[in-house]
Amino acid sequence: MSLPEFRLLRPRSIEDAVRCLSEHLGKDGLSLRMLAGGTDLIPSMRQKLFEPEYVLDLRGIVAMRGIRPQGDGGVEIGALTTLRAIERSDFLRQHYAVLTEAAATVASPVLRNMGTIGGNICLDTRCLWYNQSLTWRKGCGFCIKKDGDLCHVAPGGTKCWAVFSGDTPPALLCLDAEIEIASANGVRRVPLNDFYTGLGDNYRKLQPNELVTRIFLPASTAGYRGVYRKLRVRGSIDYPLAGVAVAMKSYDGHVADARIAVTAVNPAPLLVKGAGELLMGKPLDEALAEAVGDLAAKTAKPLTTSALTPEYRREMIRVFAKRAVLAAAAN
Amino acid sequence: MSGEFSIIGKPTAMIDAAAKTTGAGKYTDDLRVPGMLIGKILHSPYPHARIRRIETSRAEKCEGVIAVVVGKDAPNPYGILPVGHDEYALALDKVRYVGDNVACVIAVSEAIAEKALELIDVDYEVLPAYFDPEESMKATKDLIHDSKPGNLEKDYHHVFGDPDKGFSEADHIAEARFIANEVTHAAMEPHSTLASFEIDPHTGKAGRLTVWSSTQVPYYLQHKLSLVLEMPMSQIRVIKPLVGGGFGGKSEVIPLEIIAAVAARKAQAAVKITYTREEVFWAHRGRPRTIIDLKTGIKQDGRITAVKARVVQDGGAYCSYGVVTILYSGALLGALYDIPNIQYDGYRVLTNKPACGAMRGHGTVNVRFAFESQLDELAAKIGMDPAEIRQHNLLKPPCITVNGLRVQSYGLPECIEKTVERSGWKQRKGKLLKGRGLGIACSHYVSGAANSIIRSDMPHSTVNIKIDRDGGVVVYTGASEIGQGSDTMTAQVAAEVLGCSLPRVRVIAADTDLTPIDIGSYSSRVTFMAGNATLRAATEVKKLIAAAAAKQMGCAVEDLIFRNDQVFKQNAAAASGAGLANESIRSKRDEASVSGRVEGQILRGSLQQKRKEEGPKDSLTFEEAVVAAIDFHGTLTGTGSYAPPQEARGGKHKGAGVGPSPAYSYSAQVAEVSVDEETGEVVVHKVWAAHDCGRALNPVSVEGQIIGSVWMGMGQALTEEMVWKDGMLMNPGLLEYRSPSSVESPEIEPIIVESIDPEGPFGAKECSEGSLAATIPAIANAIYDAVGVRLHESPFTPERVLAALRAKRNAKSLGLTEGVDPTAPARFREHGGSLCFKGKGPERHALDPSRNSAPAVPGRAD
Repeated sequence: MSLPEFRLLRPRSIEDAVRCLSEHLGKDGLSLRMLAGGTDLIPSMRQKLFEPEYVLDLRGIVAMRGIRPQGDGGVEIGALTTLRAIERSDFLRQHYAVLTEAAATVASPVLRNMGTIGGNICLDTRCLWYNQSLTWRKGCGFCIKKDGDLCHVAPGGTKCWAVFSGDTPPALLCLDAEIEIASANGVRRVPLNDFYTGLGDNYRKLQPNELVTRIFLPASTAGYRGVYRKLRVRGSIDYPLAGVAVAMKSYDGHVADARIAVTAVNPAPLLVKGAGELLMGKPLDEALAEAVGDLAAKTAKPLTTSALTPEYRREMIRVFAKRAVLAAAAN
Repeated sequence: MSGEFSIIGKPTAMIDAAAKTTGAGKYTDDLRVPGMLIGKILHSPYPHARIRRIETSRAEKCEGVIAVVVGKDAPNPYGILPVGHDEYALALDKVRYVGDNVACVIAVSEAIAEKALELIDVDYEVLPAYFDPEESMKATKDLIHDSKPGNLEKDYHHVFGDPDKGFSEADHIAEARFIANEVTHAAMEPHSTLASFEIDPHTGKAGRLTVWSSTQVPYYLQHKLSLVLEMPMSQIRVIKPLVGGGFGGKSEVIPLEIIAAVAARKAQAAVKITYTREEVFWAHRGRPRTIIDLKTGIKQDGRITAVKARVVQDGGAYCSYGVVTILYSGALLGALYDIPNIQYDGYRVLTNKPACGAMRGHGTVNVRFAFESQLDELAAKIGMDPAEIRQHNLLKPPCITVNGLRVQSYGLPECIEKTVERSGWKQRKGKLLKGRGLGIACSHYVSGAANSIIRSDMPHSTVNIKIDRDGGVVVYTGASEIGQGSDTMTAQVAAEVLGCSLPRVRVIAADTDLTPIDIGSYSSRVTFMAGNATLRAATEVKKLIAAAAAKQMGCAVEDLIFRNDQVFKQNAAAASGAGLANESIRSKRDEASVSGRVEGQILRGSLQQKRKEEGPKDSLTFEEAVVAAIDFHGTLTGTGSYAPPQEARGGKHKGAGVGPSPAYSYSAQVAEVSVDEETGEVVVHKVWAAHDCGRALNPVSVEGQIIGSVWMGMGQALTEEMVWKDGMLMNPGLLEYRSPSSVESPEIEPIIVESIDPEGPFGAKECSEGSLAATIPAIANAIYDAVGVRLHESPFTPERVLAALRAKRNAKSLGLTEGVDPTAPARFREHGGSLCFKGKGPERHALDPSRNSAPAVPGRAD
């Protein structure tokens, strides 16, 4: 499969990049795609999921790379920082363990050398009926997310259920991350929790002229114990089929603060509502962990977007959430 | 240290390893010729449809498009089996699976060809399609092939011995349905073909055709090309460059090979087609989804009294090797254990999916999974150790099995003993931690089919050897090196016989203009058959050299020993104390220094002449002996061929041709696994795999084949499965079709067992396929040992294992496997989701020309 023809734009600074964005947006905002690591974009372009007129290659923007601990105890991570760099960062491992653990599970070492944290946050939602070649998609009659008007996963519905399959965002959600978004109009900073729409097609709140530049982790969650558990068929390469992240602070054998997030079972990574309240102030035991697992399973709405059955994936959210909080407490 | 042999039996690096590992080696897709064009194939979006009309004019008008080929450009049918000529280069009037070949655009670039594909208008009449073989067998209309009523490609019904009597004598009978889901080869190299016609200097028209192709069977390709193109075979040259793995997926003529040649003829230029990975999945020819209804009876002492199997294979839309596959499934119920009574009913059924064909362990693997699992169940029933029940049912070779298979060498007893010993089976079985278990299973496979699929009495392999005055040995063989080591094996055998060093031997392989005919690299036949042909050719040449050398050395031919690039008198070697020791011979040769200096100078001949005149010698260098032989005989060539002996060709019943082999390999394996009872995830920790390969000509290569077989079997056991929804393959890529990664690869301990076959070259048999089939049941049996659930459906994905575990502990059903009980599967399970739109698809796409009043014309945009 050939790559569609496009013009490559190679900005050297964030200012250059946002100027390119506003200049080459096109009428529908579809004529440009951004490339950070390219591990998702390039195969998708070969499958003709995207046929942009321009590709904005961000890799030359040095200012968007690096892990910079802040004076207040928090940290700022450039959106182009590779997943490998995050996996290997001693600072992050020490203070934000759940993030390094999640980053280390993404795809394979080769892909982590290329893939970036910004790319993982912005990762296109996935579906077996969508991530296929043009010829294949013709065979299925296309779908809502691309070129069609129906959903094979939830027949009769008008909503797209393509599943968000990033590994690091649930970890970032647990850590109360915020992201910085730049455009020609300036920069804005939003909690990551407000970034996703919950829709499979228009899955993130990012205007076509906007660019995710930095990720901020607050001092308040530094030092939380963290665990990420990922369901996949193979020990490498695979996208998550279900994923659970836990970040937890304990005091005197009792949970002082905790957050749990799930991924790969909904069109967005989601914090499990009520999990913190359920755990707060209690000593963690098997029964409490079971209750957390049940709560997480309720948040999960897996459908036939992926391999393995939805029922199994939901059950694994339950088991993994239980195990993850137990592991986090035991850390 | 002197052994019986100087070359074989020693771990030897593959002679083509450097080119492959440095990237210097050329695979088909690396090749280009001047003026070469690229072909792209238009595939059917429907599983079953009649083609009313194909309109190619808009595509043809595209700048950069040279030609568009359709079915009527080459309407002759072909197929790998003489009874299965049901394929066309491109669909004539009907498409039979999503991905079937409809048209091919030939253009100056891949991108232009791809764009032009969108401009071909095909008017389809969509027909009802069949996806489940048991449903398909009920069809009365809209048949997949008009000539196949009930969509039945072929059925066989065999009875050997008296099964009813056997079952009546049994103390215990087990009966169950097993389902093995579909898997594919997933060879690293996607198929690729480059076809180029020469212009005939006399007529100015297209003359001879040369085809470079990633194939296991260059001579079959030459034959099928001649059928479709209506050209004499002598005008077609097929060359096999390096091939990046076959596993059966390249063991027949694949559509692109024919399409490329037809395209080159029409475009009047060289055309290359390389499949995308998705197209590789559609070309397929993998292992069919199989339903096995199996019944086994045993006596209280563990002896098997009878076996009855009903096997239904979901064969896909074309015959391919299907008739052979369904026969292997039945025939190789025999020749592993002593089974006195066998009943076999096999059905190869057509469905609207890509054609299944031959895949590593052809036809035997899924039935072996069922059989070895059921044997384990029966052992548990009578309270016998699973290893022991297998030892109670051994054959007593030499013998002929009840279904007419001749067994001579039989290393199975030793295989079982060794795996049991190395794995600590007796000490550890049943004593492992909770959730951890051991399982054992056995398997076997042919060392080449005794009857070739082309039903001819011609030799299956022929090898020519030429030695010239430079002392270089050139071996010409039609056998196809596909990564399995056939070139290295050929060189080793020739060098061993001639007593020369390995670098002296050059292997010219698989080029129909240069090499004598060999029917190809499939059914694990090359070492046995091409190896024997090489052995015979080399022996013939050796006789010529020996005659000349004996004359010059003044001794009898029988007194000569050929070894380490020397020819010497037996008694002289003993007298000088050199014996057969490699080191001393090498140093002796260096002292003489004649050979060292003479090398490369023998055409001048003066030194040779001088030495010749010195009178009889106790030894000659290999070059001297060769020059003497050429001076004496005028030329130095030899030829050898191999045809399986009549006694090994099996019985007389219908379908008796498949299954017989001159020799069978044997394998026994113990797998150690652990199962997470909360998630159903299975981890394979270690596999002990003993394989009887007759004699290991190249032990490192044998070990590699055993490890590869176990690993591939583990993929089918745990993770690999082609997932379907109404004829759409849901996972046509290596991301979603999950072959194991290095992370899951267990430690594999290969154990070589050498039974020294009386007819194999130096006693060698096959080693590439036989081990695979044991891995799947060994893992299944280990899962049972670990957690007490007996899975009857492969692969053992975590959802299936968990469903079985939950059912066992009477937990609430969660619908994990959508109503198909993996311990007693009744039907195939398809992927969830919907295709209810049925046939509305293509018109919706943005690129679909009918949507736009002024469609973009590729190639003209500025």
